[in-house]
Amino acid sequence: MSNQEKSKLTRRDFLRLMGIGAGAVAVGAAAKPSLALSANPSFEARHFSDPAGRPQRPWWVKTVDQPTTEIDWSKMQRYNEGYKPEFGTGTVRGAGFVEYIGQEKGDELNKKSAAVLKDGIVNNVPGYTLKDQALVTANSMRMPMSFLGPQKAKTPEERGGTKWTGTPEEGARIIRAAMRHMGVATVGFVELNENTRKLIYSFDPDGKELVFTNDAEPSETETQRLIPNSAKYAIVYTIQMSEETMKRSPTPLGQQTTMLAYQRFTVVQGSTQEFLRGLGYMGLGSSTINALAIAPAFGVLAGLGEMSRLNRMITPEFGPMVRAFVILTNLPVATDKPINAGIMEFCRRCKKCAEACATGALSFEDEPTWETRGPWNNPGHKAYFEDSVKCMTYWREVGTNCGICFSVCPFSKKDKAWIHEWVKAGSSVAPFLDGFFRSMDDAFGYGAQKDCEEWWTLDLPEFGTDSSGMI
Amino acid sequence: MSDKYVIEIKKRPWYEWLLWAVWLFAQVFIVQNAVASRVELEPRAETLFWISFVVLLIVGGVVWFMRRSK
Repeated sequence: MSNQEKSKLTRRDFLRLMGIGAGAVAVGAAAKPSLALSANPSFEARHFSDPAGRPQRPWWVKTVDQPTTEIDWSKMQRYNEGYKPEFGTGTVRGAGFVEYIGQEKGDELNKKSAAVLKDGIVNNVPGYTLKDQALVTANSMRMPMSFLGPQKAKTPEERGGTKWTGTPEEGARIIRAAMRHMGVATVGFVELNENTRKLIYSFDPDGKELVFTNDAEPSETETQRLIPNSAKYAIVYTIQMSEETMKRSPTPLGQQTTMLAYQRFTVVQGSTQEFLRGLGYMGLGSSTINALAIAPAFGVLAGLGEMSRLNRMITPEFGPMVRAFVILTNLPVATDKPINAGIMEFCRRCKKCAEACATGALSFEDEPTWETRGPWNNPGHKAYFEDSVKCMTYWREVGTNCGICFSVCPFSKKDKAWIHEWVKAGSSVAPFLDGFFRSMDDAFGYGAQKDCEEWWTLDLPEFGTDSSGMI
Repeated sequence: MSDKYVIEIKKRPWYEWLLWAVWLFAQVFIVQNAVASRVELEPRAETLFWISFVVLLIVGGVVWFMRRSK
């Protein structure tokens, strides 16, 4: 037999190779079906496979009875969002920051912040140029938002009908369908009980007290927002941020995706409140940004994600690139359970965010702890608590929101490459590989800060996000 | 000298086909990641995946050549 004949591929071999090739593609596609099975991966319409509209999630996202964050409900108290001198507690957002660092230091940092922003415009510093800062301002524009909602939609009675009725599963499904259509990434539901009510702020950022009452209807006074006890459900939802944009943090350019998510939230909240009103139910929302409830905590209880070393929620689908929000309602809905996707476990070994944090505000502890880092943390859960004052101080120093921790997180991926799904699945089932995955994440250059001027040359999808990621 | 030849034809064992299947899948996997990394605007990852693809291709070629000439 000559060499020429020897090298000929027989028909049998050819068919075998084709079989193997098809098998290889099929196995890969199984990890990311939308890439291979959809002619246009950016649009893939499906029917809900669950009566409550719960999304079909990757197999490595397991539903569990208790969240991966330990909670001691007996130690948890309702927390005030706005700083209250009489309690000595509150978040560092808004006026709270000055309370923690003092007026003099606050003024000094504000001057520094203004100088950095001015210098950025004068010297065309990438990410700080006039166009970058103009975009931040543009995306900071918000629709009016309120606790009670716009209240302009016709009620069922005004339309000559009666309120919508259905099973809790149907209620959850129509809310999910409607909110997804409004631009929401994920939606979950939590029942308000003796424990979960502790995740509703005691005082809103504007100082108004949030009070549960036996009133039939919600109302608002000069000093209080009254929540009827019949509002038994929390709708918790996420809105995506642009991972590609956040990778330009910490700059005004990187910041504006956060502003855009908040802007979109104001539209979604108002629309959802009006939708609920149109169905004959109440929808109680945030009166300002970061009001009403500790949204990430509700997100964790509803299984939208897990807590993390960032002390923020990380979702299996979008990593930390989401903002979470809450609306309370009396529409009966099927509630959801927490998840375990190996995220909190991964955070134990990774620490990439803590290493990247410019001020060391994030925890380097191996294990989450019950001990808080200051009165800006809410005790009662075991977490990687952060030093929020250090974090906020840095924001002033760079003249903008930061976001480094979000952008370097190994869960912040666009999920186009099959490897990401494999790594997330691998991490979930084989946590001993987490250290290796972290090293590979560094080696492959993920999480590196990107060129701000390049951003203005990118043809990104709507809102700079990929809504085909799931669900 | 005998005028008869004995030609022994050995069928490739099943595990060899399996190994080639794994190799091919690895190549498909790496190419997908390389192409997708470009879409994801991750140039370093893209480069590393292409390098891995070329290295594995060469390794496969060498092994195939050596097996063929046995």
